[in-house]
Amino acid sequence: MAKQTFQLNVNGKLYSVKAEPDEPLLWILRDDLKLTGSKFGCGVGICGACSVLIDGVERRSCCVQVTNVSQGQKIITIEGLGTLDNPSPLQKAFIDHTAFCCGFCTPGMIITATALLARNPNPSRQEIVEAMDNNLCRCGSHINIIEAIEALIDEREGGIEE
Amino acid sequence: MGLLYAVRFVHGIGPQDQTYEVFPLDVGDDECVAAILDIDYSEWIAFGPGGNVNIFTNRTELGQGLKTVLTAIVTQGLEIQQGQLTVVQGDTDSCPDDGPTTGSSATKYVGWGYWIACEKIRADLVARASRSLRIPTRQLRYNNGGVSRKGQQEILRRAAELGRGEVVRLRVDPHATPSAGKQYIDLGIPNVNARKIVTGKLKFVGDIDMSGLLYAGWLSQPYHPKLTVLRRADLSAARAVPGIIFADVVGGRVAAIGERYNDVLKALASVKAEWSVPERSQILRLEEESRAGAELLEVKEDEGNVDAGLAASDVVLAETYTTQYTTQAPMETDTAVARLESGGTHATVWASSQYPYRAREIVAKFLRIPESNVHVVGMPVGGGFGGKTSNPVTMEAARLARYVESPVKLIYSRKDQFQLRGRYKAACVIDLTTGVSANGQMMARKIDIIHDMGYGTTNTYTIPHVLTKVYQTEWPFERAVSRGTSFVQTCFAVESHVDMVAARLGIDPLEFRRNNARFQAFVHLLDACAEMIGYYNYRPAPNSGIGMAIVNHGGSQLGAVAAEVKVNPRTGKVFVKRICGAFDIGTVINRNTATVGIRGAIIWGIGYALYEEITLDGHRTETADLMDYHIPRFSDIPPIEIVFLDNYQPGSPRGCGEMPVIPTIGAIANAVYDAVGVRFYSTPITPEKVKKALLSV
Repeated sequence: MAKQTFQLNVNGKLYSVKAEPDEPLLWILRDDLKLTGSKFGCGVGICGACSVLIDGVERRSCCVQVTNVSQGQKIITIEGLGTLDNPSPLQKAFIDHTAFCCGFCTPGMIITATALLARNPNPSRQEIVEAMDNNLCRCGSHINIIEAIEALIDEREGGIEE
Repeated sequence: MGLLYAVRFVHGIGPQDQTYEVFPLDVGDDECVAAILDIDYSEWIAFGPGGNVNIFTNRTELGQGLKTVLTAIVTQGLEIQQGQLTVVQGDTDSCPDDGPTTGSSATKYVGWGYWIACEKIRADLVARASRSLRIPTRQLRYNNGGVSRKGQQEILRRAAELGRGEVVRLRVDPHATPSAGKQYIDLGIPNVNARKIVTGKLKFVGDIDMSGLLYAGWLSQPYHPKLTVLRRADLSAARAVPGIIFADVVGGRVAAIGERYNDVLKALASVKAEWSVPERSQILRLEEESRAGAELLEVKEDEGNVDAGLAASDVVLAETYTTQYTTQAPMETDTAVARLESGGTHATVWASSQYPYRAREIVAKFLRIPESNVHVVGMPVGGGFGGKTSNPVTMEAARLARYVESPVKLIYSRKDQFQLRGRYKAACVIDLTTGVSANGQMMARKIDIIHDMGYGTTNTYTIPHVLTKVYQTEWPFERAVSRGTSFVQTCFAVESHVDMVAARLGIDPLEFRRNNARFQAFVHLLDACAEMIGYYNYRPAPNSGIGMAIVNHGGSQLGAVAAEVKVNPRTGKVFVKRICGAFDIGTVINRNTATVGIRGAIIWGIGYALYEEITLDGHRTETADLMDYHIPRFSDIPPIEIVFLDNYQPGSPRGCGEMPVIPTIGAIANAVYDAVGVRFYSTPITPEKVKKALLSV
């Protein structure tokens, strides 16, 4: 397949990349844009380590061919949510609740949880579990992840953290 | 110029190993480093001139939070700020070799060793300052990386000024008791990698980038390479894929190397290959085949006279339990970057490794160059669990790099991780016979473990007559440990069996455990669990029940777990409603990392008890992806309540990342028995097994 030029809007910046149309977005992000926060975990959309937001919706970037991303769509990766000095509130909650061990699945977890909170600012425990259920974590940080997400809800509601 | 302490941990269990020696070396920096590289040292602690402290350890970051634990220990032990400390991990050019990061030993040995070392260093610096300043030691005190007069804040000498490039060798017993007056507090600092992790900035080996880097991959094959021979491979289409630099048979496997990972996958997908498979199915039908070929490997426990003990018992129960093949399934598949240098006489390898020195050894051996010509850079590991100790992927990456004269990043696909890697935790057959007196005292116990890796004894109960033997059979795959070692298999069997013995006697299983527990610490742990789960007031809903189990992991990590389950008799699904765990792991260095580690280990126990299984069909691994291999998901995980006790050997930290896996399995199996009155003799306890068993009741 011949390479084509694609215009991508990632984390608010416009990029022009040359790629074969069937190249998964994940590898464009990692190799061309050097945004390596999105991880390769399975390559078939099962684990969620590569999750990104496309127009606010969580997508598995390993299964999105670059040709299927249109120029106007806004892609947000983990790097676009916050920085080392200024993490997003959810990223901060993940730190405060030690919501990871090895950290490999964490970017995908935060992306999926960000999408959840954007569409449902006050999810129940059950809704959190359902939204996160297709993101896999092997170390077993699940409970801490739920606690991090719930802490953010408490904060928004003006409650206090434990 | 600074001062460098080379610390040697004298490993071993027991107070006989307590030694402490200092050998001052009056030589220059370069000679010091050369001298140390030649000596078998464990850790280095270096004081720089600017008040900075660097520590060098070859134990790697696997998610267990070692860097955080060491930061807590060394900043507190040396009274310095976090910003003054740099922790260098897993780099073979700067960290001495102290063995693999396995067996929950890093906090126990390395962490505690650093604590003792810091104490020795504080005393050594005061002695040095005393000689240098001609002030008696009793008038001096250690103060924030230097030495002051007692009662004063002014630092008279900084550590680096007291050495001038000197190396001090310390022998440290990681089991020693520290002097009084200095107790750990739980600093509870956030994981020191936290900000990088949550912002996607923590670099794993797959995130390494360099000029000219190519991607490499192997052709997936369901047959293990040791069992099969590649007969034919048509590579013409693969070589025609744009971006592909190399596609060929390498060491009996098909490899492709290209500019982009997607090119590599396309090339490999186009290969038509045939393998020859030996006729005899070497696996499984676990029980018959295991027993047929079993050879005695080791007698693990032999006390008293087990036959006489069984003969003298009032009640004797003999049972057999079996367990499944499982695998580590880390979220980061095996990955390595290799760059050959100076015409192939040198190599740098970036590794996701639990033991960078072993990676260095196999890479050097393969390239036929001295180990000192290989530099392995240990990266943060995206989940290891025992699967990244031998690291063949590093050697394979170096091998492939030779063909293309470019640095190569070799990534295992998820399918490769399940099939090609072929590294499974042993399925076991465990025969147990226990004799008890009518009043409920355990008299004798005989255990035969077939396929054990050699770790699986228990030592949880007081039994006068014990005989435990380990047998092994021919094993077509790489034997593997996996979070919890093989205590997992044996503990499931023993703790299920203990409940059955208690049931035979009509004694409450908690009471039976309390009465026969080897250490008083177990009674405290059991009582803590009983209280948390509400054991004595438990009113079960239909098809619900509770169960308990205990473990002694490695002689010093003790734990008890209670589980409550609900069984759906229609679907056969076991739903874990609640887990309560009590753990005696000594001083908790960091409650944050310890808590998430213990919860994670319990979640592993749930996976092992109910879901996880590598399925083998003759020589073929059927399990291919994370849909086939069900690791616990959010919806599988119950509320988990844990408590820490410190009764058994108070003081020293003893590690916890694996131990809670083990009793969780037995506790769930016992809860299922309590719920439906059916004993499951094999893991995982799947809906199919439960449905079948309940239909036949």
